[in-house]
Amino acid sequence: MKFTGVRKLWHGVASLIVLSAFLSLEFYTNLFEKSVGYYLKWQNHKRPQLGRMWEQDRQSLVAQAKIKSIRSSLDLQEEATLGIPSFKHLFEDISPGFPLVVSREKFLQLYYDFPGQWSERIISSYDLIDLDSRKIWDRVLIKRFGPWITLQFIDRQNIPIHELFISVDTLFEVQATRTVKRGTLEESNFIANRIFPISEFLPILKSLDRATQKAVFPQPRWFLGKNYHVTRVGISDFPAGKLSQHLLFGVEYDTDYYTGVLLVPVAMELANNIMSQIEKADLAELNSDEVLSALGESP
Amino acid sequence: MIGRLLTALNLFLLTSILLVVLVVSSLYLGLNQDLPQLPQNLQHINLSLPTEIYSSDGERIKILGERHPIALEDISHFFTKAIIGVEDSRFYRHSGIDHRGLVRALWTNFRQKRIAQGGSTITQQLSKNLFFSFERNWVRKIKELLIAFQLEATFNKEQILEAYCNQIYFGSGAYGVEEAAQIYFGKRAKDLTLLQAALLAGLPNSPNNANPFSHYERAMQRTNYVLGRMVSENLISVDEKQSAQQSDLDLINPRVESNPNLYFVDQVLEQIERSYGKEFVHFGGLKIFTTLDTRYQNFAFKSARNHLEDLEGKVVKELSDGPLQAALVAVENKSGAVRAMLGGKDYSHSQFNRSVSNNRMPGSSFKPFVYFTAMKELGYSPSSVVVDEPLTIPISGSEPWSPQNFDKEFAGNIVLKKALMKSINIISAKLINEVGIEKVIRTARQFGIKSVLGRNPSLALGTSGLSPYEVASAYSVIANLGIYNEPYLIQHIEDFQGNRLYENYYHGVQQFLPESLYPLLNMMQGVVERGTGRIVRRMGFLHPAGGKTGTTNDFKDAWFNGFTKDISTSVWVGFDNNKPMKEKSGKGLTGASAAAPIWVYFMQKVLEGKNPVKFPVPDKIKFATVDVQTGYFPDEFSVSTIQVAVKEDVDLSAPPVLSEEQELNETDLLSEPANTRHIKP
Repeated sequence: MKFTGVRKLWHGVASLIVLSAFLSLEFYTNLFEKSVGYYLKWQNHKRPQLGRMWEQDRQSLVAQAKIKSIRSSLDLQEEATLGIPSFKHLFEDISPGFPLVVSREKFLQLYYDFPGQWSERIISSYDLIDLDSRKIWDRVLIKRFGPWITLQFIDRQNIPIHELFISVDTLFEVQATRTVKRGTLEESNFIANRIFPISEFLPILKSLDRATQKAVFPQPRWFLGKNYHVTRVGISDFPAGKLSQHLLFGVEYDTDYYTGVLLVPVAMELANNIMSQIEKADLAELNSDEVLSALGESP
Repeated sequence: MIGRLLTALNLFLLTSILLVVLVVSSLYLGLNQDLPQLPQNLQHINLSLPTEIYSSDGERIKILGERHPIALEDISHFFTKAIIGVEDSRFYRHSGIDHRGLVRALWTNFRQKRIAQGGSTITQQLSKNLFFSFERNWVRKIKELLIAFQLEATFNKEQILEAYCNQIYFGSGAYGVEEAAQIYFGKRAKDLTLLQAALLAGLPNSPNNANPFSHYERAMQRTNYVLGRMVSENLISVDEKQSAQQSDLDLINPRVESNPNLYFVDQVLEQIERSYGKEFVHFGGLKIFTTLDTRYQNFAFKSARNHLEDLEGKVVKELSDGPLQAALVAVENKSGAVRAMLGGKDYSHSQFNRSVSNNRMPGSSFKPFVYFTAMKELGYSPSSVVVDEPLTIPISGSEPWSPQNFDKEFAGNIVLKKALMKSINIISAKLINEVGIEKVIRTARQFGIKSVLGRNPSLALGTSGLSPYEVASAYSVIANLGIYNEPYLIQHIEDFQGNRLYENYYHGVQQFLPESLYPLLNMMQGVVERGTGRIVRRMGFLHPAGGKTGTTNDFKDAWFNGFTKDISTSVWVGFDNNKPMKEKSGKGLTGASAAAPIWVYFMQKVLEGKNPVKFPVPDKIKFATVDVQTGYFPDEFSVSTIQVAVKEDVDLSAPPVLSEEQELNETDLLSEPANTRHIKP
């Protein structure tokens, strides 16, 4: 009996020692907090991103998303601007209320890429030199208000350094309607008997006065500078679009990759004159062949 | 007996342990989904980039969301010791909860029967600051504790302490020890002295009550307590404590947000938030380039402050009236760029922007739009003669309206230019009555006025509220000879990499022909030369300028709006509670006496060192001197003459003298000059 009591006491003491040891362990090693902490750490990824810190993070993400969206929209605009193929398209693509901004470089590229003098009529190249001499011309802002198109040459701070207005009618001038197409003259509906090798046409072009030359043919630099090898010319037997008193003069050229045609509207009388001169030259050649044949010098 | 006692004790301990485990497990299960995730890195919390706002002259005028996170090595060891000593002396020994501190806090709270001591460790405070609201409840406290355990299990003590020092609030708008050191002592956190470090360490517990700027004594008591704690925790010696107590605190003056640029900044932020959202502005890390010229803004602030101080000494007012207020907006004519915007006398006293949000009656400042409408629609010119006489205008469904002149006198026959120079109410009322209210409103809209305009004849006297912002912009159309440029505040916005996200382009629209507008411009030059705004010249402002005064009934509002070739400025002065501005003698403050001097001080400073620039005269305009009463070229009977600018096709010759017979038949017509406009009320 006594032995049982001592055993119970001993058990009690042992339990107390165990519990005290456990409490001391907790007290000195923070066992409980650490266990909970590590368990929570293990479960961390399963929990939602809540609270002030994550809210700030979310707002920051929203802001960055907004910035990204604005930037991609601006990039698209810039790409569209870079993709403008010609000086004429530059003005035709303007919608009222949606101004277009092109860099100085792009503007100059399009300006000098136009096959003719029309771009000079918008702004003279000397005026461009004058603008450029101030070293602040950065971009060109093009806006449309009704029948007017405004060109603002602006600096880096968007302050206009020069402004000019052109009428929408200017886009429909004869000079402005020069276009470039891929393909051959035949594919542009020129008929075979109105297509001639460039070698036949050049003597006639050289014989024309300077103004007529300009009206028919762009500066040779336009072809040479781009490595366009002119092969044939043609004169259409159909009017040049809306210009009913004009026919199309086509200049076919080969590049390393494709064949292209420059279409130049020319006044009907001028086209007919060129046509008759080419035919006359053909006839003369034919006659000289006949003479040579009569003399027995033909092979 | 001992055995039973032991059994009971064992049972109690076991039950307690099981109870704690059970409670914690239950709480975890219950709160699991409400517990926030912890970031991988505590530095992540300071990644948000600040948004900076710049003026057009290159000054950084505001930084939003500015934080100065620094490494623990860059914090004075005095501060880390002090904060540990006072907030969590067993910081390096616990794992998120301080048993002793908790028992002590519970015991204190039990004894005092209120929550007198928190007992939160630094880790718990960090947990609260990062994730939880500041409301006091047990659920929040438990969540905070669990997250503190996880913080301790995830990060080392240095990382926790560093994050804490960079996050905690020190009052006076300072978050983090670096910013607090700058605000209170104007130095880096690493350079804090023991006394300064102790003061700062005492602030997180009560950032407002122990703020040294507002409660210096309390702040010093708290500092001494912190020093005492440091000594008792063996963090410093008694000698060091005494030496610190005898040293200078070197507290700097509080940084008062009285920067006058902030009215403009608020407006910029409001515009961007409206277009892109709050997050874009506050978390975008943007660089916002504005049109503000800080030099102009400073001139505006000083001009207004000096003149208002002068007026405050003269005007009769009660305490409840508050200070006399002023607003000023200056717009660059050629672009519409807002170069100065003063929304009130003192931003620290009142952040309400009176230059854009306070639509007050413009009084006679509105008359130029009425005169211009009459000239445009009715073919009048500055030389047209109108009769200043008693007038009653019937109003359907209401009492007839009888406008009065400011001086209660009538001038009789008078040319339009002179009428505007003298700001005669009757003439303005007659003109709106003849031309029609709708047409006047349409004209005002073309000038860029967007506020609601009342459809009643008193509109002619400026009874519909306008803001200085829109008045300055509208007057710039006159200075621009008809070109309206939408006023704007933001030049462009860049992201943190320098990519442009927004750009302002000029949208100048020719609203009126220059030859139509120039006569009005010339009339307004007359106001400044010899009219109600002649104080401008008397004060020595010599640049070519035009303008118009405005004073409303009972002297509640005083305006002066004027322009030079390059800049248009609108100034308003008044009380916020619409109380009349009267001197002790009973004399009221007018646009000329209250607002025009501010305009002159400001414009003189803005144009200092610049050559006077004349307004260009358009083609088809001629200048002539005419008789004030007949509007024709003067003759030997002319008493008073005036120079007018009229369109070339305006005939200023008097009609030929009639024969006697004709005279007899047409006596009635000759009773007034042929140029006189018979306006029927």
